[in-house]
This record gives sequence, C-alpha cells and structure tokens, in this order.
Amino acid sequence: MPPKSSTGKEKDLGGEEEVLQAVILADSFNKRFRPLTVSKPRCLLPVCNATLLEWTFESLALAGVQEIFVVCRSFPEQVKAAIQDSKWSKPASGIKIVPIITSKQTFTPGDAMRDIYTHSIITSDFVLVMGDLVSNVRIDEVVRIHKERRKTNKDAIMTMVVKESGVSHRTRSKGDSSVFVLDAHTSECLHYEPIIGVPPTKHIRIPREILAEHPEVQIRNDLIDCMIDVCSVEVPSLFQDNFDYGDIRRDFVSGVLSSDLLMKNIHCYVAQEGYAARVADTRSYDAVSKDILSRWTFPLVPDDNHPSGHLYEHLRGNKYIAKDNTVSLSRTCKINSNSLIGSHTSIAAGATITSSVIGQRCTIGADVVLHNAYIFDDTTIGAGSVIKQSIIASKVEVGEGSVIERGSLVGDKVVLGKNARLGPFERVSRRKEDVLKELGEDGEDLEEDEDSEDEWEEVEKPHDHGEHLDQENAPGILGEGSNGIVWPQGPPEDDEDADEVERFDNQRLMRLGDTASDLEQSDDEDDDSSAYSDSDTETDASSFRPFSHTSSRSSFSLHSSTFEAASSSLHGLSDAAAEQEFRNELKQSVKRAFEENHSLDNAAVELKTLRMASNGKLRTVREVVVEAVVEKMTIVEGDAQGQRKEIAEVVDRWGELIDRIGGVDHEETIEILQHHCAKSARLPLFGQILATLYQEDLVDEDDIRAWHTKPEAKGEGKHPKHGATLEGIKHCWSVGGKMIEQFNAQESSDEDSDEESEDE
Amino acid sequence: MAPEASTSTSHRSVEVLVSKLRRRQVVGSREAALETVKVLRQVVSRAKFSNIDQLVGLIRSIGKRLVDAQPKEHTVGNTVRKILHHIREEYNTATKGTATVGSSSRAVFSIANFVLQGQPRKHTVAQRSEVTTSIRENDPDDPDSFAKTLKPVLMEAIQDVLDELETVYDNVSKNAKDHIHSDEIILTIGHSKTVEAFLKSAAHYHSYTVIVAETSPSYSGHEMARNLSSAGISTFLVPDSSIYAIMSRVNKVILGAHAILANGGMFAITGSLLASSAARVHSVPIVVCAGQFKITPLWNLYHEFGALDFADPSSVLGFEEGVLVEREVEVLNPYYDYVSPEMVDVFITNDGDHPPSSIYRLIKETYDDEDHEL
Repeated sequence: MPPKSSTGKEKDLGGEEEVLQAVILADSFNKRFRPLTVSKPRCLLPVCNATLLEWTFESLALAGVQEIFVVCRSFPEQVKAAIQDSKWSKPASGIKIVPIITSKQTFTPGDAMRDIYTHSIITSDFVLVMGDLVSNVRIDEVVRIHKERRKTNKDAIMTMVVKESGVSHRTRSKGDSSVFVLDAHTSECLHYEPIIGVPPTKHIRIPREILAEHPEVQIRNDLIDCMIDVCSVEVPSLFQDNFDYGDIRRDFVSGVLSSDLLMKNIHCYVAQEGYAARVADTRSYDAVSKDILSRWTFPLVPDDNHPSGHLYEHLRGNKYIAKDNTVSLSRTCKINSNSLIGSHTSIAAGATITSSVIGQRCTIGADVVLHNAYIFDDTTIGAGSVIKQSIIASKVEVGEGSVIERGSLVGDKVVLGKNARLGPFERVSRRKEDVLKELGEDGEDLEEDEDSEDEWEEVEKPHDHGEHLDQENAPGILGEGSNGIVWPQGPPEDDEDADEVERFDNQRLMRLGDTASDLEQSDDEDDDSSAYSDSDTETDASSFRPFSHTSSRSSFSLHSSTFEAASSSLHGLSDAAAEQEFRNELKQSVKRAFEENHSLDNAAVELKTLRMASNGKLRTVREVVVEAVVEKMTIVEGDAQGQRKEIAEVVDRWGELIDRIGGVDHEETIEILQHHCAKSARLPLFGQILATLYQEDLVDEDDIRAWHTKPEAKGEGKHPKHGATLEGIKHCWSVGGKMIEQFNAQESSDEDSDEESEDE
Repeated sequence: MAPEASTSTSHRSVEVLVSKLRRRQVVGSREAALETVKVLRQVVSRAKFSNIDQLVGLIRSIGKRLVDAQPKEHTVGNTVRKILHHIREEYNTATKGTATVGSSSRAVFSIANFVLQGQPRKHTVAQRSEVTTSIRENDPDDPDSFAKTLKPVLMEAIQDVLDELETVYDNVSKNAKDHIHSDEIILTIGHSKTVEAFLKSAAHYHSYTVIVAETSPSYSGHEMARNLSSAGISTFLVPDSSIYAIMSRVNKVILGAHAILANGGMFAITGSLLASSAARVHSVPIVVCAGQFKITPLWNLYHEFGALDFADPSSVLGFEEGVLVEREVEVLNPYYDYVSPEMVDVFITNDGDHPPSSIYRLIKETYDDEDHEL
C-alpha cells in the first residue's frame, strides 16, 4: 500500500505536464437516425453545417484536451477520412486525434470500453464523451476537481457532468432521462435511476442505506445528462472485469453504485454555467440546433467559432448568412428568425424560411415554404414545395410542389418526383442495392452486420398496413421517377425484445415533431409544472415525490418506507438463515482452499463470487477468513519458538487473504481476531498472532491503537452472560495495551513483544 | 534552420492565438492587443526575408488570419496596422540616404493632399537620423543581409508598441487631475481598467464621489465599485434603471471604450448608450478614457446591429427556464452598445485629448492608408 500512494503523489506533482486524454465513442449503438445513417455514421451528420464530430472536437478543444481517441464502428473509413480532412489533423491544431476502429461485434458502449482497455492507450484520468456532444462547459475545471478529489479519495473513479435544466426543457430527452440521488455536500452520486417516458416511470426505489448514511440528500429530476464523464484509469478495466456491462449509465453506473464489493464512488458535477447537450435522437437534433442558433452555446456559435471554420454573419433575429458573398437571396424571399444559410446556396423568389438550417450549395426553388426544416448540403428543393419539421439529407432532390409533413426523414441522394406527398413521420431512403453499390465504390467493406440485414429485409418486403401502400403504389407518395422507398411506420415486429429505451412508443418521444400527446408519459407537464419544478431542486431526504402526476403524490413515500419497516422483522428471520448458510459456504470454501492449497488469487476470487452470489456482508467474510486462519494454526505446547514459527508460516501463506476479500479494514480484522480468540482455545496465541500480522504488514501500528481505544475492544457493552468470552476479550485488550506500550517505548522489537505477551 | 521549419513554428504560435481568439479565451481589447504584439514579435524575429515587401506581406497575411479569427476584437487589427506602420517608418529611416529623396521632394504642401500625407512625425523622424549605412535589398550574394541589418531596429520598434501597451493606463490617467475636480459627482458604468486607473489617479489630488451603475447582465459594475471603494474613493453602486433618475446630480460621465471608430463613435459595454442618452438629456459632459490602440480605421457601415457582438442568453434568462426556451422566446445579450459621435464630448487617450471629430486624424497619423483593409 505505502509505495503505491507515493507514486500517485509523484504523478500529481507532475500533473502540469500530463496530457489530457479524451475518448469519443463515435458510434450511436442505436438506430434512431435511420434512414439518415444507412450510408453514413451518425457522427458525420451535420448540425448547423458542421458535423457532430467537429462539434465534439471543438467542445473538447475548448477544455484543453490534447489527445483524442475516436472509437468508431460503422463506416470507419468515412470517419477516418473526415478526421484527416478536418482542420484538427493539421499539426498546428495542437491536438492529436487517433481513430480506433472496433469490430462490428461491438454492440454497446461497454464493448467499446473493453476495446479501449485491450488497446491500453489510457495513461491517466481521461474524459469520456459520446460523438454527438455540443458543449461549452469548462471540462478542464471538472478534470481539476476530479483530480483534487482523487488525491484524498482513491475510490472516486468517475465524475459525471450534468447540466441543470428544469424538468421540462426541449433539450432534455423525455424518453431517456434519469433521476440522480446526490449527497448535498460532496455531490457524490448515491443512486442512479434511469427514467423512460413510456411506459411512464412512476416510482423510483432508493435504497434505505443511503438515507441512513447521508444526512442531506438531493433527489434531482431536473438534470440533463450530457454524458461527459471524467474517468480514472480503472474505469475501462472495470468494464473488462464485468463483461455484462453494456450501457455506461444503466449498467456501469448503476452497477458500481449498487455494488458493495467494488467500494468505488461516482461523483456528479452539476454545471451551473455553460451548455452541454447530446444529439442523441431527432428531437434533440432539433433542440440542439435551435440552442446553437439562439446562442446558448456561445462562443460556439456560427458567427464566432464555427467548428468547420465557416464564416457566418449574424443578423438581427439570430439569422446567420454565410459571409463570403456567395449566397444568393432573391429580393422577395423572406428569411425569418433562427435561420442559418450556408455558402453558395441560392434562394428563389417568394420562398419563406423560418427556423430552418440550410446547408451549402443548396437550391431552394420559388415559393418554397421551409418551416423548422433541416436541409443538408447539395440539396435541391423544387418550386412550390412545403417542408415542415423534417430533416432532408444531402444531395436530395425534392420535386416541384411536394409536401413533406412534420417528422419526416429523407435519406441521402433520394430523388422525390413532382407533387410527392409525404405524410407525418415518413422515412424515405434509396433502395438497398443503390446504397450498397455506392458504399462498395467508396471502398467500404460490404460486410453488413446481421442486424441491418434484417432491417433492410423488413423495409423492402411489401407491407400494407393501414393506408400504407406497398412499393408498387409508392409513386403516389414519392412522386414520378423517385428512387426511394418508404420505410415502414409503427413498431417493428421484434419491438418487445428491444431494450426498454429503444421500444417504439418510447422512441416516439425522441422523434422530431412528435408531440406524443396520446401517450401517457413520465414528467407530464400539464397544469402546475412551475410549482413542480420549484420544489424539485432542494428535496430533502424526508419528502419524496412521485415522478408523475398520474400517481398520487404520497403513495411513493408511504409505500416504500412503511412497508419495509413492517416487514423488516420478517426479513430479519430469513436474513439470519441466509447468513448462516452463507457462512457455511464460506467456511467450506476456505477449508477447501487450505486443503487443496489454492493460490491466494483463486481463493480470493472464490470468496468474492460467493459473496456476490448470496449478497453477503463483507464482515461475515472477514470473520470466516480470520477464524479459519487462526484455527489453521496448530497449538504447539510448551515450545514458544516452534509456536512462533507455526504462526509465522500460516500467516505468511494465508494472512494476505484477509485483505483480499474485497475490502480492507484492519481495525475490523483486529476486532474479529480478538473476538474469535476470546472464544477459542487459541486465546493465549492472540498476542503472537497480532505481532505476526504486524510484522507481515497486515495491520499497522495505527490500526492497533485505533482498535485499542474503541469501547468494544475493552469488552464494554457486552452482555454479562458471555462471562468467559468477556474475560477473553479483556485479556486480549490488555495484551494489545502491552503492545502499544511497547510501541510507545520505541521498542518495536517483535521478539520482546512476544515474550511479553507470553508472560501474561 | 530551413525556411519551412521556421515558418511552421512561427505559424504554430499564430494558430494558437487564432484558436484562442475564436474560443474567446483571449478577451478584452488590451489583452488581445498584447497577445498580438507578442505573436508578431516572434514572427518577425524568425522571419526570413530579403526585401521589405516580403516582410510586410508576411505580417499582413498573419494579420488577416488573426482578424478573421475574431473580427470583433478590433485591437488585433489595430496592433497589426501599427506594427506595419512602424516597420515602414524604420525602413524609410534606414534607407533614407538612397531612396527617400524623391519622395520628400514630392511632398508639396497643398490643401488637397494635406490630409492624405498628414504624417507629421514621419518627417521629423526622418530628419533626425541622417547618418545611416545604406542597406542593399535583394542582394543575390547574401539574401539574409537585408534581414540581418534591419531586424534589430524592427525588434526595437515592436518593443516600443509593446511598451506603449504596457504603460497605457498610466499615460491615459496622467492628466486625470485636470479633468476631475473636487466634490464632483462622476458616473461610470461597467468595469474598465482604464477608467479605474483614471479615477484612482485623480483621487490622489481631489476628493470626489463616483456612482457606479451595476451594468447588468455582466454586473461588472460590482467589481468596479469594490475596487474604487477599496482605493478610498467614496463610491455608490446603483442599479442601471436609476441612471436617468440620478443624472441630474451628476457632473460628468466617464466611460471606457471597446473600440473607437474612425467617425468618432465607439463600441462600449452594454448600458453605455443608456447612460450617454441620459447624460445628453441633462447636458452632462461625456468623457471617454481609452488607449490609443483602440482607435480603429473602421466606420460603422452596417446597421447598428450587425457590428455588435452577442453573447449567450443564459445571463439574461436562465437555461433552466425550459418552458420559455421551448416557446422560442428570443433572448438577446449584446456585449457592446454603439455610442454615436454626437454623444461623446472628448476622448482622453495616451496620445492626448481629442474631440470625436478629430479621431480620423489620429488614424492618419497612426496607421498607413494601405493597411486599412488587411
């Protein structure tokens, strides 16, 4: 232990020189942006004419990150090329960007983390973000706080950045949010509860221990989780150890917090200032775009520090027009507020553009109406078309007189004929062959993973539910000469198998333009939402509130606390039985280890698994191990030298196991040793054992002193009926006292202490 | 050292400043000017050139990059222009013996080109240094000889610019006691270091009262009031809304500037226009304290909106007001106001006191005409 901490200190001293590393998980691991993402990774989708990856780089550069690892899974060649072409790969940028390509079998962020572990690229505390981050939060400040905390508490492995936003906010996802239980003073995250919108989450469960251990607790449902995590080096290895961790929040954070084996802490950093949000779905795409245009992300705004380096001019009403005089605006076109128009775009007479983002080199025909529309680069919108709350990808051609209703997504290079009519939430892409052919030309590997294979099958097979017509009738919707196909609406067949968050109804909450008013949700903000959010911030431990108006306000608190109290006696009985069984199993296991002479590692792992399996207490394990080790020593009558040798041998071989069971608490070890010796025939050996433990560095002088001052160690507060035991305890205590006297006299020679205690 | 290597390393520092300016990690006009001088000093000290045009071209291209990075920090461009001016001056002095004979004979006094050539200092300097060794440009035998001989003087010239920036507060405030008199009531807004130094300097001679408007939404007035009162000046802090109400009791309004434009108008912290308008109504004189480096050869050509700088709305409306944000309430948080020249009575600079109407002459003296567009 001591050498370890000293190296840590040296590292901290050299902290100035340390390179701040960041890891970007550039894959979404979900399909919320389909079909925009069939031929392009999500991180290369443009937001306000800069790709998400560039926004993320800029956000990290703002924080002084010097080395970035980009973990990409789908279309890695495109991501690589994009990084190569961007200004970030120039030597003057001062940032080193390394793309890391993971296999197609990487399905979750957890897999990606394991991949990072195997690459062993992380050398110190690092920043972990998703490849869809837009932020101006001072992450370097968070890193500083994190490192500061690590100096005093080695177990603080992670700091999550969360942004205060209020319960109802366009940037806060309704379908995938979370409740954080924080310690009011240390901002330690005590409990994490994921919240999904549909079916509504009405209750959360907060373990009772949290309320018992922490005098002041905040339960917060008003935070945006921006998925900026400052992690210690241990984090990837924890993922490696726990191969079932998938999601960083739902599995990792919950797992670490609920595990009393790991003994690790996770903290939160509640960002009061600054902006941070993720573009996790089409709805947040809309929200983040709006936030950028209304300058919440300042100085990351189009006219100031556009991540792609475009220059925009900021006009009254948050209108941004490319500055290089290449935009051609007709005299009669109308640009309303919160709009952004890229360079080389031309807008014909009579067009009306409201709250929309138009990419570079687009052509907008006469009398086109764009309302909340997002048009990527090189797209042509035919005259007289109307597009509302939709995303039109790049190189799309929309025929004249088309109407695209809210929530529609049109994929890359789709051609829509004249008078195309897309209803709400329609998704259109090109046919699979076209997409694949092109990807093949680009030198991409055609190895499609099974998942998307299924997906295409479902898209391409004829389907005819409701007014939806199969492909033969598509021209009616997509117009003459279209190369597109319409993706099926409604829940997919395997919806039930999907993760709760990814189910269709919940996904609707993350869809652009979907009000989802027919769904019952968590966080329903109908009547008194302001009062609701007011009381939200400073909730103390005693006043729980339900998380939805649909459930009655008090049911939650009454339920969990009173019910548990009443049933605790019942629990007590079964607990005792369970504990007895657990103890027996432990004993068996240790005995086996002794008999078969297992290595320490194996024995420790076995004990840990046992404890995990039966959710046992750490103290029980320690008791059993200490007992077993003590009992292992044979009593050698009348030969002090031989006895000492025997003890030394046993402690040398097995003593370390005591510290390897998942937690270290020397005081408790001594206490257990004392209590055990008091009842056992090995009472006279206590002094010698203690001395040997001290020699082997299994206990320190300080631990012995601390133990000795405790009232329990003197046998106070014990029931008098344990007369004999009490005697033993007292005996041990006085032996300990002798030892301390010796420490005091600066005679730490162990032989002396042994003889002293034998004289007793 | 190979020329590529030297340019790339000097570019490195330029790139660093560019990204700092873009990310607003360098803010404030003096800060930006200082950083610019330091970068240019580095560039000039490493540059390889065999005639003056190469050097000027190099500095101009770097200047353009810096200005494009943050067009709203006007002092960056000003500093580049000023250094170019100094470099030409030194060059003319050094090559006086051979080249400038023709040009001086050309300088006929006429009312038509009086303004055009109005660089009086150039003449005096030129006459002072008669004894100089002639320098050969574009020497094919030794291309470095020109750079070698000229560099020390150029470095000195740049050092002068740096020194001027470093002493600007003292020089602006050296005449403070003549502008502020005993028992006067002064109103100021925001936290301008120049104004702070000016007021503190006057406090050595007179006792007077300062009223500081708190200047929402940055509330930089709070810090100003704290600094002034800790210097022993009797200080009041008032909300912005009461500026008009107390104006009748104020003797003088003293403002800081972000940039002074060629027409005598200026960009100054939000609220300056409010204070100036109120002062006009009560005919209270408005005095602006600013370093000369803030004088910018630009006109407010655009409508008053586009030239300003808008920060994030969070200090006006909290981000947590989700319902309002969602309904797309438009929240504006401008950094600067444009105060037109009619409002201002006098500019106090480290180069003397000037009325707004003669700012154009200062620009003529400080910068070369060809550098107005970098």
